[in-house]
Amino acid sequence: MIEWSDTHRSIRDMVRRFVEAEIKPKVTELEHGDLPPYDILRKMFATFGMRDMGEIRAAKAQARAEKRAAARARGEDLQQEERTESGDQVAMQMLPIIELSRFCPGMVTALGVSVGLTANTIMSRGTPRQIERWAKDLLTLDKIGAWAITEPGSGSDAFGSMKATARRAEGGYRLNGNKTFITNGPYADTIVFICKLDEDNDPKDRKVLSFVLERGEKGLVQSKPLKKMGMHSSPTGELFLEDVFVPNDRLLGETEEISYRSGAKDTFTAERTGVVAMALGIIEQCLQLSVEYAKTRVQFGRPIGDFQLIQLKLAKMEVARMNVQNLVFRIIELSTEGKRMPLAEASGCKLYCAQSAMEVALEAVQLFGGNGYMAEFQVEQLARDAKVLQIYGGTDEIQISQIARSLLAG
Amino acid sequence: MKILVALKRVADPDNANKVKIPGSGDRVDTTGLEWKPNPFDEYALEAALRLTENGQQPKTRAGEVVVVTFGPKETETTLRAALATGADKAIRVDATDDQLDGDLVARALKTLVEREKPDLVVMGKQAVDGDSNQVGQILAELLDWPQATFAATIEEEAAGSVLVGREVDGGVAKLRVKLPAVVTVDLRIVAGASVYSTKTARTFKYNEGVRFAALPAIMAAKKKPLTEVKLAELAADTKLKVTYAKFQAPPARKAGIKVKDVAELVDKLQKEAKVL
Ligand SMILES: Cc1cc2nc3c(=O)[nH]c(=O)nc-3n(C[C@H](O)[C@H](O)[C@H](O)COP(=O)(O)OP(=O)(O)OC[C@H]3O[C@@H](n4cnc5c(N)ncnc54)[C@H](O)[C@@H]3O)c2cc1C
Repeated sequence: MIEWSDTHRSIRDMVRRFVEAEIKPKVTELEHGDLPPYDILRKMFATFGMRDMGEIRAAKAQARAEKRAAARARGEDLQQEERTESGDQVAMQMLPIIELSRFCPGMVTALGVSVGLTANTIMSRGTPRQIERWAKDLLTLDKIGAWAITEPGSGSDAFGSMKATARRAEGGYRLNGNKTFITNGPYADTIVFICKLDEDNDPKDRKVLSFVLERGEKGLVQSKPLKKMGMHSSPTGELFLEDVFVPNDRLLGETEEISYRSGAKDTFTAERTGVVAMALGIIEQCLQLSVEYAKTRVQFGRPIGDFQLIQLKLAKMEVARMNVQNLVFRIIELSTEGKRMPLAEASGCKLYCAQSAMEVALEAVQLFGGNGYMAEFQVEQLARDAKVLQIYGGTDEIQISQIARSLLAG
Repeated sequence: MKILVALKRVADPDNANKVKIPGSGDRVDTTGLEWKPNPFDEYALEAALRLTENGQQPKTRAGEVVVVTFGPKETETTLRAALATGADKAIRVDATDDQLDGDLVARALKTLVEREKPDLVVMGKQAVDGDSNQVGQILAELLDWPQATFAATIEEEAAGSVLVGREVDGGVAKLRVKLPAVVTVDLRIVAGASVYSTKTARTFKYNEGVRFAALPAIMAAKKKPLTEVKLAELAADTKLKVTYAKFQAPPARKAGIKVKDVAELVDKLQKEAKVL
C-alpha cells in the first residue's frame, strides 16, 4: 500500500462529514466543559454500522473461545489462534481514529480504552461465557469499559511494583488496591482490574491475574475525573477497592493458571499502533491549519509564509506527516499480508509518532504566534493533547529501552 | 419502483468565493478547490432511497436505484459514494464538462432512460456550479413525461403516481404526477417528514439531511456494478447548443454603512434607498 485507495478516501470523507456535523460544534463543551464523550461516540457507532460490526466481532471471539475451551477439555493446549484482521479492516479502524484525532484525540482515547484495551483483554483471556457477558456490550458501546493496571506507586514498572491484591476467599476472591490515571474510570460500567494473587508469598513471585468488576460493586469507589493538561474529552480517574468480594466467575479465564503477563504483548502492540493513527490526525490538522495561517497572516507587509523560518516549520511538519502516514500504511499492509508487527517495531513506531505529533503541534503553536496560545485557534489544544502520546501506553523512555533491548538481545 | 438519479460533481460550493476568472475571460478557474457532489443531487439520491425502502428498515431496498454521472474516470468516486449509501448500480458517461451542455446531457439521459426504463427520474433542481436549472425540464420534454420541479415533498401513491409538494408563495402546491415522470428536488426534500414510500409509516420521521454510509457498506460498494458508457453511444449529435462567449467576475460590492439607530435607518431607507 502506497496511498489511500478510493474506498479509504470515501470512508475518510464520510467520517469527516460526521465530525464536522456532530463533533466540531461541540468541541468546546467536550474540551472545556464536562460533556462526557460517550453519547457522541455511540451516535457515531450507530451511524457507521460500527455497532453491528462490534456484535459480529463479539460473536467471533466467543466462537474462538469455545474452540479453545474444547481443546483444553481434551487436554490439548490450543495455541492462541492468530487473530489477524485484513488490511481493509485495519484501515476501517484507523480512518475514524485519524479523523477524530484532528479535533478530539481525547475521544479516541476514551473509545480505544473501552472497545480496544478492555474488550480485547476480555476476548483474549475470557471464557466463552465471560465474553458473552461483558465483551459484546463493550464492542457495541452499550457499556463503557476501563482497564486498570497503573497505581500511584507503579507505572512503567507495572508488574514489578504492583500492590493491588487478590486473596482467595470462600467461593471467590477479595480484591484490594488503588488504581490511578484510569481512562473512563469515572464512568465505566465494566472494569478489568489487574492485580497480584497474594498467597502470603514474596510479592516478586506472585501471579498476576485479571478480574472483571462492575459499576456499583460493594467496596469499589470510582473517583470523579482528575484535572489534567489535555485530553479533556477523555475522563481519567482513580479506583479504590476495599475488600471487594467477587465470585470465581469474575476471574478472567476462570483459572489462576493463565498469567496476565503472557499475551500482554498483543495488547501493547495494538495500543501502540493506535497511537500512530492518532498522531497522524493531530499532525494533519496542525499542518493544514498552519499552511492556511501562513498564507493569510500578514506581517512586515507580506504573508508570514514568505519568511524562510516559517517555511522551515511547514516543511518539517510535512516531512513528519509523510513519515507517520507511511507508518500507517505499513501497519495496514502488514495486516493485508497476514503478518503482525513485532513489539519492538511497534515501540519504534509509537516513539517516533508521539514525538513527531508533539513537535509538530508545538511548532504550529509557534507559527500562530499569540493566536497559537489562544484556545480559539485549536493548535494549543492539540499541543496539550499530543503530550500524552509520549506518556501513556508506555513512556518514550520505556519504548526506547524496549527497542534497545531487542537490538542488543542474543 | 425503479428510480434513476443523475449526479454531478462540482467544485466545492462552500469555497465558491475562491474561484478565479483569468484575464482572458475564457473560463472559470477552480484550481485548488475540492470536488464535491452537487448538494441538490445528494438530496435527489436521498429522496430516491427513501422512496425505495421502508424507513424503519433502510438496509433492505424495496426497488432499485440507478445513479448516473457524466464525467471523467475520477467522477467514479461520486458514484461509489452513492453506491455505498444504498444505490444498486451506477453508470458513468465518459465526458468532460466542456463537452457538455444541459441540452446534450438531457438528450443522453433520454437514451439512458429508454435503456434502463425507470419509473421515475429524480434529479437536483440545479447544479450549483452553472446554476442552469434546465436538464430535468428538457429531459421531461424529450421523454414526453410529466414533470414536477423544485419538489419539497414526495409521496408515493399506490395507484402508480406520486404526490409532489412544491413550495410556492403563500403555501404548498401539490401536484399528482402519473408515473413514469421526472421530479427535480429542492433543499426541503431532506427534511424529516418530506418523502414517503408506500412502505414507510406516515408517523416515521427521518433524520434531517442526507444519510451516512455505514463503513462496511463503503467497502461493499467496490463490488456493486459500475459501467462506463461513451457519450457518443447515447447521443448521435454531440454538438453543443450553449457556448460561452466570455466570463466576467461580478463587480466587487461596496462596503455597507452602519446606522446609529432605527430613526436613521428609516430615514435612509426613505431618502436614499427609496424603498419605503
Ligand atoms: C491521560 C492518561 C490516561 C491513562 N490511562 C490509563 C489507563 O486507562 N489504564 C492504566 O492502567 N493506566 C493509564 N495511564 C497510566 C500510564 O500508562 C502511565 O502514566 C505510564 O505508563 C507511566 O507511568 P507513571 O505515570 O507511573 O510514570 P513513571 O513510571 O513513574 O515514570 C516517571 C518517569 O521515569 C521514566 N522512567 C521510568 N522507568 C524508566 C526506566 N526504566 N528507564 C528510563 N526512564 C524510566 C519515565 O519514562 C518517566 O519519564 C494513563 C495515563 C495518562 C496520563
